Amino acid sequence: MQRRKLLPLAALPWLAPWPAWALEAPEGPVVLSLNGRVRQTNRGASAVFDMAMLERLPQLSYATRTPWYARPRKFTGPLLRDVLAAAGSHGEQLRAMALNDYRVEIPVADAQRHDVLVARLLDDKPMPVRDKGPLFIIYPFDQNASLRSALYYSRCAWQLKAIEVQ
Amino acid sequence: MTPPAPPALSVATRPANDAGAMRLSVWFSITGLLLLATLLAAAFVQARQYTLLNLTVQHQDDYLALNLYQVEIEYLRLREQLRKEVDAPGSPALQLRYDIFVSRVALMHSDRAQRLLTYGEDAEAVMQTVDSFVRRADLYLGSDPRGPLSPQAAAALLSALETLDGPIHQLMLEASHRVAGRVTERQAQVRHHNRIGLALTAFLLAAVLLFAGIALRQMRSLEERRRRQAELADQLRDARIEAEAANDAKSEFLADMSHELRTPLHGLLGMLSLVKDSPRDPRATDWLGAADDSAQHLQRLIDDIIDLSKLEAGTLTLLPAPVDLATLLREVLALLQPLAAAKGLSLRLDSDPALPARVQIDATRVRQVLYNLLANAIKFSEAGAIVLRARQRIDADGVPLLAFDVSDTGIGMDGDTVLRLFRRFSRADDPRARRQDGSGLGLAISRKLARLMGGDLQAQSTPGAGSVFSFWCPLRPAAESPLTQAPALATAARALQVLVAEDHPVNQRYMAALLARLGHHATVVDNGLEALQTLQARAAGAAVPAFDLVLMDVHMPVMDGVDAAAALRALPPPIGQVCVVALTADVYGDTRERCLAAGIDEVASKPMSSVALRALLERRFGNPVAAPGTPGLPALDSPADRSGHSGELPGLLDTATLHTVRDLMGPAGVPTLYGGFFAQAEDAARRMRDALRDADTEALRRCAHTVKGAALNLGLPALAQAASRLNREAGTLAAPHLALAVQRYEEITAATRTLCEGEGLLP
Repeated sequence: MQRRKLLPLAALPWLAPWPAWALEAPEGPVVLSLNGRVRQTNRGASAVFDMAMLERLPQLSYATRTPWYARPRKFTGPLLRDVLAAAGSHGEQLRAMALNDYRVEIPVADAQRHDVLVARLLDDKPMPVRDKGPLFIIYPFDQNASLRSALYYSRCAWQLKAIEVQ
Repeated sequence: MTPPAPPALSVATRPANDAGAMRLSVWFSITGLLLLATLLAAAFVQARQYTLLNLTVQHQDDYLALNLYQVEIEYLRLREQLRKEVDAPGSPALQLRYDIFVSRVALMHSDRAQRLLTYGEDAEAVMQTVDSFVRRADLYLGSDPRGPLSPQAAAALLSALETLDGPIHQLMLEASHRVAGRVTERQAQVRHHNRIGLALTAFLLAAVLLFAGIALRQMRSLEERRRRQAELADQLRDARIEAEAANDAKSEFLADMSHELRTPLHGLLGMLSLVKDSPRDPRATDWLGAADDSAQHLQRLIDDIIDLSKLEAGTLTLLPAPVDLATLLREVLALLQPLAAAKGLSLRLDSDPALPARVQIDATRVRQVLYNLLANAIKFSEAGAIVLRARQRIDADGVPLLAFDVSDTGIGMDGDTVLRLFRRFSRADDPRARRQDGSGLGLAISRKLARLMGGDLQAQSTPGAGSVFSFWCPLRPAAESPLTQAPALATAARALQVLVAEDHPVNQRYMAALLARLGHHATVVDNGLEALQTLQARAAGAAVPAFDLVLMDVHMPVMDGVDAAAALRALPPPIGQVCVVALTADVYGDTRERCLAAGIDEVASKPMSSVALRALLERRFGNPVAAPGTPGLPALDSPADRSGHSGELPGLLDTATLHTVRDLMGPAGVPTLYGGFFAQAEDAARRMRDALRDADTEALRRCAHTVKGAALNLGLPALAQAASRLNREAGTLAAPHLALAVQRYEEITAATRTLCEGEGLLP
């Protein structure tokens, strides 16, 4: 009995209309744009973010070791899943693209399962392009040993500029 | 006779079994340890591999190398963009390309890249050139530019950048080679570990196989053990069945024997009733003869049963004494000669002249065995000769043996029959033969006796060709002595007053008649209480002479013999000191012991033969009165008298010593000397009785010791031997045997005294 009631309830979010708020228009220079299967568009078919918009999303900080720095470094930024939610993403697969044309496929499941950051601060300081900025996808390597592999290191796109939701 | 031998194989194999199990368990432990060590080694190698892999993951050399390659790509892209800038200045793309290039260059400065690319001097130079270019370009494209990039400056930067072309490529190639080298090295390591892993696996396999092999062996040995146990169980079952069969045989024997005992008894009773009903019938003599035959048959049967019972109960004691061997053999042959002659058989003695003339044996028992063997030979032979061969033999251990062979020309027996021959209650012949003679116990008894003597009895036979029965015992030569005859019977000084306490009227009459025959006066009472009263009454009345002896049946109504004796001993002297001899048919139990403990002087077995009674009276009271005109009673005793007390007493006197003593003391001194000695010896006997009653073996031993030395000095070897035996075995013999030995000592003392009197040695 309980189960039968619950099932339609679980389906509700999918049927309900999307939240009334829409993604506001960026005021500063665009640092990240989400294309493809996104609903909350604010520029053409894309959902674009300036640094302030990313800063307004819930922020998370953690320090972790990475192959790129000798010491553990502290990364701060919104969670990738929050960014995707803000863009109304409804795809299964992401393709992250960097300023240097680096591309890498990231399953949406990664963002759901792990606290994947769209880091915008390194040791509480903004990252310039020459220091892998302005955005850096970071996995919580120190929290989960299984993440410490070439596969996940390759998914850490730095100088991130766009995500295509597929 | 012998119970089925317990299977010996299981006992023999068990220690080997245990050793095997121990060896197996040691192997088990070794293999187990080996297995454990291998597993640990395998675990160690795997742990090492895991660490190595983790190290690789942490270093991420491969990925870092990829990033470094991108330095070159970004370098090329920056150069391209800078060339475009020279042609068409003002593109924002240059700034981005430059920043990306710088970010890539920064990677080369990171610790890990340093570790990956241990720069040589060339690499150092390249890095310095790159750094100086970045410093120069930062003037226009850094975070804090000094001014906009002019086309001239761009051209200058481009030419500076183009000089990096070769060195950067060289650097990347080097990085590539180093990474490749690392990968190769790691692969080699992994291969090495794999090899070790493989070896360990192979070893593990071998160990497991070994383990399995041992387990299999263990299982087999368990299976073997189980099989053996099953076998053992089978054997036990067989043994039980055999034991049950033996028990059945015994029951059957009892049934048969009861019947057989009844048959001669019926004959006896029948004949006696005929005589009683018609006392004047001229055929009475025949009837009495038949009654006598029946009685003798009955006595033989009962004697056999009693012998076997004693042998089985272990209460039969051998009484070895010096014996004239030739005389003994002649006697046995003489006893059987009529039987052999009646069947037309010749009976021969073939004695080895090398045999010592006198040997130390229990004459009664040796005679019994030989009699039995010869009687059997006669019974089963219809024609031909029976030979008794006596010779000396040496056994495997070098012990000299006295060996007798009885060979016949009879029907012979097959192997199975020979095997069954020595069992109790079995006979070689068919049941009809039972009528003829014997209890079927003869051979079983003979073999037991032979073994008791330290020898054996065996049979060899061929059907139709006759049999040879071989009987041997250790040969112990005895000293030559001319004075060997048992003391001759002489007449006693007076008639004895004997009180007979016996409840059975027939036995009462028998005893009274027997005593009367021997010239004594018997007073008969029915029980122990009457005996006591009669004794007291007789002591009170001065008219009649007091009793010399009480013959006391042990089992009586009202008051039994033991209680009566105890009560009697409590009376004041002289009544309390009258000589009491108990009569009992008990062969078992502690009757004898109880009697002696109650103060009875001697225990005699029932029925008492005239010879035994005469010997008893002689021992106790000197030579009895010979009844007028009675030249010994008819054969109330069987040829081989088995009362056990009338064994020969040879060697009573040693003439050589006697002569010495006579020479020393002079004719006048001798009687005093011997009289004193006998007083002492008889006193010692009394003290031995006391010691026996008090279970004081030490006192007993001391008494015996005193007598022993004196007896030897006076030339009384038999007495010395009896005393010596008491002295030697007082501490070890069981009470009943000790009592018997004391009794034996008393008998010998009495006999020796009689003999000495005859020799005129006593006052």
